[in-house]
Amino acid sequence: MTEPSRLEQGYRRVLACYPKEFRRANEEEILAVLLATAAEGRQRAGLAECADLLRGAIKMHLGMSRSPRPVLNAVRLMCAGAVLTLAVLATVLVTLGSLRSDFIQNFTAAQWHTVMLTQIVPVLASAPIGAGVWLWLAWANGRGYDWARPAFMALFGLVTTGLLLGVGEGTALYAPADLIAATVLWLVGLAVIVLIFSKTASPYYQQEPAQQ
Amino acid sequence: MQEATFLILTALADGSQHGYGIIAEVQEISGGRVRLRAGTLYTALDRLRVDGLIGVDREEIVEGRLRRYYRLTPEGTERLAAEAARLQANARAALARLKPLGVVT
Repeated sequence: MTEPSRLEQGYRRVLACYPKEFRRANEEEILAVLLATAAEGRQRAGLAECADLLRGAIKMHLGMSRSPRPVLNAVRLMCAGAVLTLAVLATVLVTLGSLRSDFIQNFTAAQWHTVMLTQIVPVLASAPIGAGVWLWLAWANGRGYDWARPAFMALFGLVTTGLLLGVGEGTALYAPADLIAATVLWLVGLAVIVLIFSKTASPYYQQEPAQQ
Repeated sequence: MQEATFLILTALADGSQHGYGIIAEVQEISGGRVRLRAGTLYTALDRLRVDGLIGVDREEIVEGRLRRYYRLTPEGTERLAAEAARLQANARAALARLKPLGVVT
């Protein structure tokens, strides 16, 4: 048996990013196509080709090629939710200065310090974790795990609680931009709930994961 | 229906094709405008198989490598015909409205 070329080894490394079950069924076939379409004498996998394969691998991991349309759209929205969570973090950071100046007009610097420690720092610290949870649930829903929908409901409950607390506190604690970002995030969550609990989506969650 | 999906189904309309064949056919049908990459192609093929629009026709081993041929299913043929008719109707309407402007013959 001949040694695989450097190009083939490169492609195999990228193809290793695909889910195991997909690779088992398709790796040799995709590799044959990659080698057939590669320019003669090429030694290394091209950047655009690798990016395309990685995009395909992410879609496969998120079940985006296998899930029904409502779940597919819900997965897209959950990815958007992760981005929005980071956007909320960014708006809090950007608006922190104006928030502080508004706050200390009515309260003392010591009270601001307490609010920072008890309310704003936890929000800033939890945002990256929140984004990770959105992505994790996008993966789980895309794969059709039966626990994924209740888990998303729980996340939506937290997002709703956060928004209600924000509205309750009003602009005394949150800048309008933060409330707008949180409302958009809540609306994304609501759209996800509608999609994953739709009639078309439900049978997908009742299959064995191996079939998905 | 996305353009890539439409072109893949069109490539399979007159007979089964393997992955590389589909890429070549799509490039030809689109006049060289669309060049599918392997990652995009196999994500689309996986989706089309799940949706029941294409199926595996046969498999061969060529020079030690797997070659899988795909074919349109009756449902795929029906969907392609419906999409082609829809595009044709849209194109006809656009051309009819452009004709008085003299930008098309």
